[in-house]
Amino acid sequence: MPEQPTKINKVLVANRGEIAIRVIRACRDLGIPTVAVYSDADRTALHVRYADEAVYIGGPRPAESYLRKDQLIMAARQTGADAIHPGYGFLSENADFAQQVMDEGLVWIGPPPNAIATMGDKQAARTAVTRNGVPLIPGTEAGLRDEDLIGAAEQIGFPVLIKAVAGGGGKGMRAVHDPKDFAEALATARREAESAFGNGDVYVEKLLIGARHIEFQILADTHGKTIHLGERECSIQRRHQKLVEEAPSPFMDPDLRERMGKMAIAAAEAVDYVNAGTIECMVDRDKNFYFLEMNTRLQVEHPVTELVTGVDLAKEQIRIARGRPMTPQQSIMEPRGWAIECRINAEDPYANFMPSTGKISTLITPTGPGVRVDSGVYPGSEITPYYDSMISKLITWGETRSEAMLRMRRALSEYTIMGVKHNIPFHINLMNSFSFIAGQIDTNFVEQRFSMDTYENDPTQKDLETAAIAATLYAHRKRQLAAQVVAPAERDTSNWKWIGRWERMQR
Amino acid sequence: MKYVTILNGEQYEVEIDKEGRILLNGEPREVDFLALGPSLYSVITDNLSLQAVIEEERGEVSVLMGGRLYEMQVLDERALMMAQRRGGLGGGSGEITAPMPGLVVAVPVETGQEVIQGQTVVILESMKMQNELKSPVDGVVDMINVSAGQSVDKNAVLVVVTPPSED
Repeated sequence: MPEQPTKINKVLVANRGEIAIRVIRACRDLGIPTVAVYSDADRTALHVRYADEAVYIGGPRPAESYLRKDQLIMAARQTGADAIHPGYGFLSENADFAQQVMDEGLVWIGPPPNAIATMGDKQAARTAVTRNGVPLIPGTEAGLRDEDLIGAAEQIGFPVLIKAVAGGGGKGMRAVHDPKDFAEALATARREAESAFGNGDVYVEKLLIGARHIEFQILADTHGKTIHLGERECSIQRRHQKLVEEAPSPFMDPDLRERMGKMAIAAAEAVDYVNAGTIECMVDRDKNFYFLEMNTRLQVEHPVTELVTGVDLAKEQIRIARGRPMTPQQSIMEPRGWAIECRINAEDPYANFMPSTGKISTLITPTGPGVRVDSGVYPGSEITPYYDSMISKLITWGETRSEAMLRMRRALSEYTIMGVKHNIPFHINLMNSFSFIAGQIDTNFVEQRFSMDTYENDPTQKDLETAAIAATLYAHRKRQLAAQVVAPAERDTSNWKWIGRWERMQR
Repeated sequence: MKYVTILNGEQYEVEIDKEGRILLNGEPREVDFLALGPSLYSVITDNLSLQAVIEEERGEVSVLMGGRLYEMQVLDERALMMAQRRGGLGGGSGEITAPMPGLVVAVPVETGQEVIQGQTVVILESMKMQNELKSPVDGVVDMINVSAGQSVDKNAVLVVVTPPSED
């Protein structure tokens, strides 16, 4: 007996910024009315203007608004929304919220709470996927003694990484390339971990040199089908923050895609996954791949997959939540063309990527062939310190990687944002870097081998002079205008009065 | 009108006469400078067509042109005279202000301490990130207005570094 399709008549989008707009657009395409939610800081935000209805949910800090489960469910009740889309971030990977939404009789446009919970717990996720034969980065458990760790390190094979169990921020982390250095590095790592976290416990993991971050897009429906839509290359990162993504990966070949795709489907099936999700992997130089984690939500970088597969992922999410079979019926083994995404952040690349707040005074958005912009801002909108610094995503498509890159360069040069500092100059430099052009990238590239100085020419004397003249003319006109305001008018009676008198004369 | 415009520490003498003709450092220049919107301009010079976004904030004129941001001070004759009386042009201010609202994490300098240009004087947390604010000049820390744990508003003066007087 076919399953009764679930009705969705109105969707509440429990998010803000560009992703809220992305989901609202998908709903519009499907003819479904939408409800936005907003905090005190977001009354004037773009997502509020795009939605059919908008509900105020609290203070500017996420904990006072976008993270308040009861408030969000109340907003859905109040507006008659019968489904909630969580976007990414905020409550999107919160199993309790997903469960609460379902318990309220609302449709959760996302994976089952169990799948979220299992994949959200690192150890549980590893156990689950291993059962389906998914490879993990070889490593030891926590709590081993020094002698056992040395033995384990030799078994794993050097180089290895010693990592603090309570770790973070690189503290208590040591790379060891030579077995004879192991004992000393172990002692240092333990000491560091002890002083930083009060816990000297460490474990050993294989160190992957020159590894890439490659992830697979998964779609699964309630009719028992799980497929993948190919990979995304996300190795351009800084402090574990992705900055540029592309699909396909320049490192991929059909055989590797086949093997990794199978692995990704197996990993998703290990938790009975439904809806859109992403399997993140590390891939070393020898094309060995290892499961990192699964993101149980729509990703920031989903547009690159959309452009090379023609699948609208946000729409598919709603379709799947309605209980229908998903549109693509099999995995996509051959992407069409190439897509690149640059995350445009309010961060100053010349000042160590310091975030910048303020009002966007001028905004000129690129257009033309092969260009897509998913943006959360408009001229006059405020970048506040309460949320992350992403302004928009610029995505270009080309028949080949070079065409996509050239279009990206062109689009970046068209993109004009004034009022806050932003990282467009970083992206322009990156698109000019030989390593990126050649696709020779790994997760350490930006932090270890990239500099803003390498590809940037100093402005010419002519550029500087033109800028100086333009600035002076601007200031000159502004001052003249100010002088005119205080100067007395040529005749001392206002023109309105003159017209009034003239009209009375004509009566 | 005569102006001195300071860009990257360089001085450009720009003279604009009553007919709108332009002299740069005494040399005539043909510049067609057209306003398209409140801050959008089209500049054509030697057949070179450029789009510029120009804004002024707190006495600084910013020009975004060809993907590059130029930040300048434009001084007219009066401002020039006053600046010269204060003791020279182009000497950057030693005020370290908060570029955004945030929480002061640390102030790794003391009053009276000598600092060099680029030395971190305040660590400010905002947008979930720790940001090192650096001294724009060599000099001596003259004033510290904040301490660790304090919340500050945008543009609040946090630390003042006084450059050594040139004798």
